[in-house]
Amino acid sequence: MSTAATPFPRSADRRSALDRAHIGDIHGAFGSVECYDTGPRLTRRRQLRTMLAILGPGLIVMAADKDAGTMSVFAQAGQEHGMELLWVLVVLAPLLYVSQEMAARLGAVTGTGHARLVLERFGRLWCAFSLTDLLILNFAILVTEFIGVALSLSYFGVSRYLAVPLAAAALIVVSATGNFRRWERAMYALILADVGVVALALIARPSPSTISSGLVPAVDHGAATPMLLLLIALIGTTLTPWQIFFQQSNVIDKRITSRWLAYERIDTAIGTAVFILAAGAILIACAAAYAHVGPRTGFTDAADIARGLDAHLGRAAGAIFAIALLNASMLGAAAVSLSSSYATSEVLGVKHSLHRSFTDARVFHGCFATFIVIAACTVLIPGAPLGVITTHVQALAGILLPCTLVLLLLLCNDAQLLGPLTNPRWLNVAGALAVATILGLSTMLTLTTIFPAVGLRDTLYVTLALLIAATAVIGLTMARAQPHERFDGGLTPWERKTWTSPMLERLAAPASSPARTLGLAMLRGYTTVMVVLLLARLVTLLAR
Amino acid sequence: MPNPQRPLAPITPLHQDVAERLADAMFALATPSRLQILASLRAGPLTVSQIIHEVGMEQSAVSHQLRVLRDHAVVSVERRGRERVYTLRDGDVSALLDHAYRHVLALMGGDAGDARARREAS
Repeated sequence: MSTAATPFPRSADRRSALDRAHIGDIHGAFGSVECYDTGPRLTRRRQLRTMLAILGPGLIVMAADKDAGTMSVFAQAGQEHGMELLWVLVVLAPLLYVSQEMAARLGAVTGTGHARLVLERFGRLWCAFSLTDLLILNFAILVTEFIGVALSLSYFGVSRYLAVPLAAAALIVVSATGNFRRWERAMYALILADVGVVALALIARPSPSTISSGLVPAVDHGAATPMLLLLIALIGTTLTPWQIFFQQSNVIDKRITSRWLAYERIDTAIGTAVFILAAGAILIACAAAYAHVGPRTGFTDAADIARGLDAHLGRAAGAIFAIALLNASMLGAAAVSLSSSYATSEVLGVKHSLHRSFTDARVFHGCFATFIVIAACTVLIPGAPLGVITTHVQALAGILLPCTLVLLLLLCNDAQLLGPLTNPRWLNVAGALAVATILGLSTMLTLTTIFPAVGLRDTLYVTLALLIAATAVIGLTMARAQPHERFDGGLTPWERKTWTSPMLERLAAPASSPARTLGLAMLRGYTTVMVVLLLARLVTLLAR
Repeated sequence: MPNPQRPLAPITPLHQDVAERLADAMFALATPSRLQILASLRAGPLTVSQIIHEVGMEQSAVSHQLRVLRDHAVVSVERRGRERVYTLRDGDVSALLDHAYRHVLALMGGDAGDARARREAS
């Protein structure tokens, strides 16, 4: 204990909260931190204890990111292309960390969830857009998670009519207990079994030289088109809008404030490392398992991968993959559905916290249960077109991601919200580049999904043209957004570190900028056109 | 004259769950706009449009804050035809407002404020 604890500045004491349960002591799975704790962390031991208590949102979001869809795509990459796509993980790691750090920072400093911040700073129209995007996409992803549950348990011979309802019931019970610590411990238990996939890479025993060869991007001209599609799918399943909504709300619900931002960043970094290790292990194991097996035939589904690993690497490998798939699907379902119910309740203004029981926060837990039940029922419909749904979900995620990222970047430049903790310039440049790249890649994915007949080269030209236009608009928007009130208020280091947004209703209205409005409207227009095209294709596919 | 600050029943020791519930109730009162809405309801039940007129806030803001108040069981709502009529849940909410008002007035204006508050309360 320090002798003279520094008091929190007034802004931190009067922290804005949408739910009273968001204010108070942190009760993590591995420890607690009192809300009045301002003591410095001088010894390694204390730093470690604090870290263990804060650890959670970043780790859970990243572990949940390695969900059923991601596992299938990385397994497919290993099966069909060996180690060739391993380098994608090296590129994805910083992207993943940077976007999640921004969301975590917004949550810790403002105390307001992402959906609600969009409502407050961009108005009802934009909130309606991003909330419907999120809910539709999350529902589709949730369906893929339950497909994952069904596939993984079918490997062990369990009927999906038993597996899916049981999984759904377990998810609802765990979140509705009204005890944050218990919820987090349940998530950790899932993560533990989930990271078992790292053992697959050890079982596969790949040679270091093949791994290092995979870390260098190489273009095999013969197989360029399918590889590019897979590359886009890898990015599309790794970066999804729900992660941003989930981590921001979960940081708030865990009661992490700006004072603990440094620890939350480490949490996010640990999560990123876990994701990269686990995804890499799946890719490496599948590459090793299928390396000596005839021609690299088409990928069917994740259960097939488990049987393949069983055949080529031994029984243990198949079982590890199937168990990891089950846990990853459960984690993914929990996090995706929570991001929906957090966002809905934030916008409605009703109680929304894992600290509250079912009876105390009916709308929040009711939303969660409804989403889970509907998705579970969809999977159980006999003859439901699950394969078509899965492939289109990736395309939809790719289309909707740029909108979310642009809103995230703009929010992180809002000096009213983040004060001294707004994005540094390099982060904005990196963020804009990432948005442009994802916009380009997702456009290519969409175009190839919708018009399979069009060649890759034509798609590339169209995409480049679109990309240049979009980059110009976003660049203009960012440039215009920059000069306005840059925050510097002669703060002490402690005040900077604990800076907290004022109460939502005391914030001045955001400065309206025509460039920003134009940029956002263009982005929205593009998104709408792409979604309509995608839906048209889906309908024609289903009508056949 | 009974001392209005004396509690009805001893609330110490305060159980953790009860403390959380109390904090929830106070949270509902902890935003200026919600206090303005509650104050307007002290005179009697009002429709949404009447509340908007009384407090001079935007419709969306009023609806939002009313939803928070309803979620925390501070106000109750009743449908009358096509309109929704809002009322303070009970006299205790009104008393909470009175006491908070008097407390703040005392801090602001010392004895003078206190006297004024007492005059208004009676």
